Amino acid sequence: MLDIDEIPNGNRLRRLGRTREKAGITTDMNSMVDMAFLLLTFFMLSTTMYRPRGMELVMPVPDDEDTRTEEVQAVKASQALTLIAMPDHKLYYYRGLLEAAGIKPITYDKAGLRNFLQAFVQETDKPVVLIKPHPDCAFEDLVTLLDEMNINHINRYAIDRVSEQELARMRSAGFPVPNP
Amino acid sequence: MRWSALSRSKTPQIDMTPMVDMAFLLVTFFLLATTFKTGEIVWVQMPRSVAGLNLPMTDLLTIYVDKDGRAYMSLTSPQARRAWLHEYGRVSQVAYTEEEYRAFETMSGFGVSSAQLRNLLQTPAEERKRFKQNGIPIKGDKNELAEWIILARVTIPRLRVAIKADANTPYQKVEDVIKTLTEINVLRFTLITQPKKLNDDAGY
Repeated sequence: MLDIDEIPNGNRLRRLGRTREKAGITTDMNSMVDMAFLLLTFFMLSTTMYRPRGMELVMPVPDDEDTRTEEVQAVKASQALTLIAMPDHKLYYYRGLLEAAGIKPITYDKAGLRNFLQAFVQETDKPVVLIKPHPDCAFEDLVTLLDEMNINHINRYAIDRVSEQELARMRSAGFPVPNP
Repeated sequence: MRWSALSRSKTPQIDMTPMVDMAFLLVTFFLLATTFKTGEIVWVQMPRSVAGLNLPMTDLLTIYVDKDGRAYMSLTSPQARRAWLHEYGRVSQVAYTEEEYRAFETMSGFGVSSAQLRNLLQTPAEERKRFKQNGIPIKGDKNELAEWIILARVTIPRLRVAIKADANTPYQKVEDVIKTLTEINVLRFTLITQPKKLNDDAGY
């Protein structure tokens, strides 16, 4: 659909009702717009706007038989908090030494864990948290715990294995512990 | 004169030229900015966290762990994948054919043992989706995952490693991967998560 206004006052073109008083070439852009927007929509939908996001994790150098005893840092019992993640999204904690403290349950939600950690950070000088995920607990729980460490600005934390004594202690306290 | 010309045309005419300009500008932008979605090897329900570290789109090795604990790997660029397979072939003394290299380039990732890799590469592209990939062996006589990661680091010195594990994977399985990484001295890596708001609670 190309209109060429060679004769601005030409009667023949006038009768078609398309002539304008302008000289030059007018192209009908509608189909071009259609096509451009079609392409635009296609590229918009096929573009991955998603960029992977994540949390950085820095692990310690793995234990060496020779350095093991010297490298273990002594932590005062009053500074330490142990969080034990169990299967079925159950979480338990104890403060200080296992012998002295009892293991108590706590929830992952804001009212439970976050408030507790906030209070713990406030009353403790240089807090240290030990995260002990049970082998069968969901990976999600570990991520939640690590996330809470970042949220509450706890810089000193470690991931460790849950020990037999801890499991035995929990069993005797009546908490559900899966059999190995 | 002017009025009469306007009244005679029944439909109003709009100049579409600026609209076309704009549309093509946007098309050009998306055309250049697009990286086409490549099918992921395995669907993973990512855990949620508020941590918002953006990962680079290049030089990234992603280790997928599905909820049954099977490990898969993907490396970002096709060129790097080719070099990676070349290294692997050199170390394991297998000469891969050009077709196999090309197949490896087009696959975004894989999750098979070295014994099965050839079978996977020789499967035609359209049937590859149905190929049962049982994960890269971690335990057993040889930790093949470790071997692949070491070779990826040889191929790309600036390699970043990320773990994309399913939220419901038992921790044991993820721990195996983490242990593999620390044993070969990859001590800094990223756990891929999906964003959540600070005050969102998990539903349990």
